[in-house]
Amino acid sequence: MAAYRPAFDRDSRPWWERVGRREFAVQECDGCGAARFPARAFCPACRTEAWHWREVEPEGVVESWIVNHQPFMPGLAEPYVVVMVRLAAVPGCFVYGNWRGDRPPEPGERVRVAYRRIDEELTLVDWEPAEDDGNLDTHPARRTSSR
Amino acid sequence: MSKRLLDFRDRTAIAGVGYTPFTKDSGVSTLTLACRAVLAAVEDAGLSVDDVDGLATHRVGDSAAPTLVGPALGLTDLAWHLDQFGGGSVSHAVVGQAALAVAAGMAETVVCYRAINARSEFRMGGTGRGVPVSPEVQYQAPYGYVAPPQQYAMYARAHMSKYGTKAEHFGQLAVTQRANAAKNPRALMRTPITLDDYLASRWIAEPFRLLDCCLETDGACAVVVTTAERARSLRRPPVLVSAAAWGGGTSHLSGDPSADPTVTAAAALAPRLYAQAGLGPGDIDVAELYDCFTYSVIVQLEDYGFCGKGEGGPYVASGATAPDGPLPVNTHGGFLSEGYVHGMNHIAEAVSQLRGDAGDRQVVGAEVALSTAQPGYILPATSALILRRP
Ligand SMILES: [Zn+2]
Repeated sequence: MAAYRPAFDRDSRPWWERVGRREFAVQECDGCGAARFPARAFCPACRTEAWHWREVEPEGVVESWIVNHQPFMPGLAEPYVVVMVRLAAVPGCFVYGNWRGDRPPEPGERVRVAYRRIDEELTLVDWEPAEDDGNLDTHPARRTSSR
Repeated sequence: MSKRLLDFRDRTAIAGVGYTPFTKDSGVSTLTLACRAVLAAVEDAGLSVDDVDGLATHRVGDSAAPTLVGPALGLTDLAWHLDQFGGGSVSHAVVGQAALAVAAGMAETVVCYRAINARSEFRMGGTGRGVPVSPEVQYQAPYGYVAPPQQYAMYARAHMSKYGTKAEHFGQLAVTQRANAAKNPRALMRTPITLDDYLASRWIAEPFRLLDCCLETDGACAVVVTTAERARSLRRPPVLVSAAAWGGGTSHLSGDPSADPTVTAAAALAPRLYAQAGLGPGDIDVAELYDCFTYSVIVQLEDYGFCGKGEGGPYVASGATAPDGPLPVNTHGGFLSEGYVHGMNHIAEAVSQLRGDAGDRQVVGAEVALSTAQPGYILPATSALILRRP
């Protein structure tokens, strides 16, 4: 189960639905072509409201990570790792997820999305080392410590 | 400096400060805490509560609004009030807004306060409080990423990776501030600690240990803002508001390709703040820097220009921020050791230092102080004040 079920909003619902289909998409501005995430109406670069979804490689590099030693939300078992990823497809965009590598992340390492299906309504986006292959859904969120 | 700004510099002053005790369980409502702190600040200034014509606070649904505190103190015709939504990043904007209202003549005597039962009722650390309402939460909370210690730990790790900042740097800061708190009768934690104590404290969210995190505290603190002219005739030496700035900052929504998690909103705000005062970092005698976590101070030392980018850790480790260093920082012990009153106690300590009544922790010859808010990591904004002795 998820520690917290996200409340989709009118901007984000289509993105979450795509994640449910294991599609990783960002918005692309019809005015200037800039990519953006998370979903919202206006392009911050040129203020155009028109846009379309563009499927991109679900990749990025590790910007930072933390090892949580207390359950910051009910229903979580510590320790658990949250990773902050600089998305390759969207400059300046950071996204978060649980870490699914079998070792701690390294700063700057390339990572890929590992989808985590919770149920019919919800799939989450975790991250794992880009060189990993194999079935993305077989191992649970890793419990690693850098201590 | 902006030509449009009304003649603001040194036009207003902080004429009094007031506190309730800092505890782990106040046993009273935030309304009661707020009233006690407001009355204490008014008393300190040598004023009557009937002189108050403005009230201001900031909160995140966890304190008493001016529209409650005013009537509770029999103030039924306030000329001005502000109920600023927001966390620590707006703590100094509240006093800045009050000074602006006083400078503009909309009010003459504004009390800014913050009352909080952050230990016994609403713990910022992630329990006893609902998940905040923000579109960004849906991309973070499902992964168990929701509390300030986690967010700051994340940014601290980025700084460690990029600049080689070490646990020992964070630890030295915690040790120095505890030593300051040992000289502060108000402080919740006064027993000195060593670097080994710091390193042995339990993990909260690596790279943060318990002693990287501020104290969740019950308490209230208030300051009285009035005209500089009026403050001169009151009981206490006035402390002038030389500059007040807020805003600035970027966020993950801005699409800025150069986005750097090791730079805070303070880097954008600092030049405006200094220009307003006509001063620079070299003119600051004492700094009360928002220390929700150790790293927060280290990054602000850089972004307010006291050392080079990435050098905050070694700067602290060199002893520069100790009472006998070139820049005494968090002379009251800060949130880490005095108590967490969401920014207001930093302003009050700066006032104490500039009035020269800080007792055993007095910085000799303190004439100019910088006091700052949460530097804008959690919301893309910050705020800060430069205060000085006339
Ligand atoms: Zn555009």
